[in-house]
Amino acid sequence: MVRAERRRGATGLVSAMLLGLVLAMGMPLCWPLPAVAAPATLTVLSWGGAYERAQQHALFAPFTETTGIPVNVARYNGGLAALRRAVAEENVPWDLIDMTRSEAMAACAEGLLEPLSPSLVAPAPDGTPPDEDFLPGAFSRCAITHSVFATVVAYRRDAFPGRRPTSIADLFDQRRFPGPRALQDTPAANLEWALLAYGVPREELYRLLSTRRGLNLALKRLNGLEDLRWWQAGDTPSRLLAEGEVVMASGYNGRFFDAMVNRGLPIEILWDGQVQEHETWVIPRHAPNPEAARRFVRFATTTERQAELARYIPYGPSRQSAARQVSTHHGTGLDMRLHIPTHPLNAKRAITRDDDWYAQTRERVGEYFRAALFDTPDEASGAVAEPPADGETPDPDS
Amino acid sequence: MLRFLGLVALGALIGSLAALAAVSFVAAVLWLNDVLLVSPRGRMMFAHPGALVIATVLVPTLGGLVVGQLHRALPGRRPHTPADVIAAVQTRRGRLPIREGALSALSGLVSLGAGASVGQYGPLVHLGASLGSLGARLLRLGRSDDNITIACGVAAAIATAFNAPLAGIVFAHEVVLRHYALRAFAPVAAAAIVGHVIATNVLSRGALFHVADTVLPRPWEFAVFVLIGGLGALVAGAYMRSILGVGRLAERLPLPPSLRPALAGALLGVTALWVPDILGMGQETLRFATIAGAFGGLELLVVLVLKLAATALCLGMGFGGGIFSPALVIGTLFGALCGTLVGGLGGAQDTFVFYAVCGMVAVTAPVIGAPLTSLLIVFELTGNYALTTAALASVILASPIAAQLFGRSLFDIQLAKRGLDLSAGRSRALLQDARLHDLLSHICVTLPPEQCVSEAVTRLSRSGHGEAHLVDAKGCYRSSVTLADLEAMREDGDGGRPVKDCPSTPRPVLGPQTSVWEAMRHLQEVTGEAIAVVDEAADGAFLGVVYETSIARAFLQQSDALRREEYGAG
Repeated sequence: MVRAERRRGATGLVSAMLLGLVLAMGMPLCWPLPAVAAPATLTVLSWGGAYERAQQHALFAPFTETTGIPVNVARYNGGLAALRRAVAEENVPWDLIDMTRSEAMAACAEGLLEPLSPSLVAPAPDGTPPDEDFLPGAFSRCAITHSVFATVVAYRRDAFPGRRPTSIADLFDQRRFPGPRALQDTPAANLEWALLAYGVPREELYRLLSTRRGLNLALKRLNGLEDLRWWQAGDTPSRLLAEGEVVMASGYNGRFFDAMVNRGLPIEILWDGQVQEHETWVIPRHAPNPEAARRFVRFATTTERQAELARYIPYGPSRQSAARQVSTHHGTGLDMRLHIPTHPLNAKRAITRDDDWYAQTRERVGEYFRAALFDTPDEASGAVAEPPADGETPDPDS
Repeated sequence: MLRFLGLVALGALIGSLAALAAVSFVAAVLWLNDVLLVSPRGRMMFAHPGALVIATVLVPTLGGLVVGQLHRALPGRRPHTPADVIAAVQTRRGRLPIREGALSALSGLVSLGAGASVGQYGPLVHLGASLGSLGARLLRLGRSDDNITIACGVAAAIATAFNAPLAGIVFAHEVVLRHYALRAFAPVAAAAIVGHVIATNVLSRGALFHVADTVLPRPWEFAVFVLIGGLGALVAGAYMRSILGVGRLAERLPLPPSLRPALAGALLGVTALWVPDILGMGQETLRFATIAGAFGGLELLVVLVLKLAATALCLGMGFGGGIFSPALVIGTLFGALCGTLVGGLGGAQDTFVFYAVCGMVAVTAPVIGAPLTSLLIVFELTGNYALTTAALASVILASPIAAQLFGRSLFDIQLAKRGLDLSAGRSRALLQDARLHDLLSHICVTLPPEQCVSEAVTRLSRSGHGEAHLVDAKGCYRSSVTLADLEAMREDGDGGRPVKDCPSTPRPVLGPQTSVWEAMRHLQEVTGEAIAVVDEAADGAFLGVVYETSIARAFLQQSDALRREEYGAG
């Protein structure tokens, strides 16, 4: 065993050196056009805010340093409308988009994206091939997952003296954990948690949610919650928790991290049942500099860059080799392992959101959800073209 | 020793083949269900309600058509099932042909893929057994070893499909081999372990039941579990009787057998428009039935009855597939019904899953005739000891009541209808299955009825036989006479009369298809050296005789072979 590890270490070293050589010498040969001929700018569409600042530190600046290609960032707010328009007019201003996997799948199906081959990314430093190193489902036809964020439940540390929630079923247990709750006004995550609370194993969630019976069962549990607040904007849950309006709230793990670390809010994340979503890199069709974009994707998905990004924001690297290397927070020296969704400590009972399922069922499930919980099906279905449920686009961290 | 170790290695090899076959089968069924809009997930993700209605009716109907055509290529025009495996092993005929195994598996695959309400474990068991038999045949092994390799295939199939190696081993012994010999145990265990390893590495499936807290049932609840067992036996009986009953009704339908599954599929599809729970294996229904409050009380009853009817319809009308998975669903629904009733009477709801599991075991154990296997499946799938003891309580009454009222299992009932009665054990079944024609001898004295007595005496004396059989010019048997009777006639001065006038005690005759068992029974009534074998179908043509000593020898040989197989250690 030891010998095997040592050998792996040795081959890892060799391949890392080889990789270094290739990077140092080969790259200008392989991709000479943008770097040498015209140092075109790489335009990236990303989410702004703290998220973009982290990318700037960990990815964009080092990329420019290594390749000489400047990176220009445009602000993205989710959705496909702008991309659809730009591709139709064959005038696409972006080379690369940071997109959720569910939207990437839809965009890919519509033919708005260039195909991306898994062979684009580098192996891990120890030589592990990408398809073993990346999370399952990280590669799809047009998208490569670079990081993972989670919808989780957070609770006020001072709300339940003497005990603390350990399982997602505790979200629904207002006898042992009394107090108001806040949940997002969309089906995603809520339905999954409600079924988990019945003891359904996570592998069967979407199969059971595919039946009328499963949906009703989940909605019954949600309906049983007293003092429930529905939130829409991503910053609401931590505000409600801070003001003491609720004792438990769902939200994006990045937001909760921000509230805990930067604002000292006395809250704790319940990682059990976290619903993971993938953030991917995609290259739009008719992108002006697709080669530079590919080069960036290879650069930004290396183990080293992924681990570095996780020092700025609590996003889980999509490579296991990187998740293991996650260290401390860049500013505060906080142990980031406790805040990374994909770290083995937190991912024990994680649910991977079934984007395929949601892509096909979002509108029907959303209507059913609103009709059952908000008693205003007409109002909601009136806005079905861009329903409030489309707050699915995470905007997790601005 | 070497030979024995070789058998263990062969068991492991067969186990890996059977396990791979099982894994591919399960994966193919899941894929088909998604593509053909049978699985809830596939149906949910399909956004066109109108087309979904058409598909719900059309898919099982077309599946039935395909299955009907497949069955035309099978002997007996029916898919082969674990009952055929049991028959092959219990009668030591062995030799399950691979073609039938593959075609039956294909029929099961199409049936399950198209959403018929049938089980997947039956086809898997039969396929595993066929692979085992193939291995033994390729290596030219004897019948006992053939039986063991068949059991290996069976154990591996169960171990893989349920990811339950212990249940696989016990199932092979309890249902297929029906004896416990160390010689068989080791290869079977090897096969099951290989299946388990393959299953854990390839099929990563969640536990069938997840019991969140370690709630323990209250003491009085165990009495309820025992009662559920007793009632479950009746549900199992209704289930088995319905399958057989629909089968009988189907025979009377003015519809060629190859079209019957299509009719069943159409009926199933139309019903599923209102109650989609009855489609397919029903894994989602099974899961919901373990959750308190997922069904209303009346709803449970409706789905239970409809699922039972749908399964009887599909299997009775000739879809290929097993009886186990639907029994699991029906039993769990029944247990959930009991749990709901008890809850309504003031019992607690936190032990609901115990009721569901008790009902499940109470119905499945009698249907497959395997109480131990059912218990072990619960144990290995849940890893929960409290749940297993509750299931044990329900099996106490379920298995004996069902065995008394209906039969040891649906397999045994089906085999009895085909003329193989296993109710009195294997040795009798074997003797009933062994035919006389192997023992037929032509070394005997036959006389034309017209021959005179004194000539007959002379012929008999010279041949060294004590009796002669009268056969007329057409070759038909008339009667048998003994030397003593002929001698007495000659003494009385009737030596010139024809032998047909000789008084003879009426003797039984045997047909060529008579079993050794029946011949043994006749021996009790006959004193003499041999019994005539007569083909009644060919106007009583005389075929030869069977010596009493050879019947006794056949009996002893069969018993010896059985003893060696069942008690041999290596």
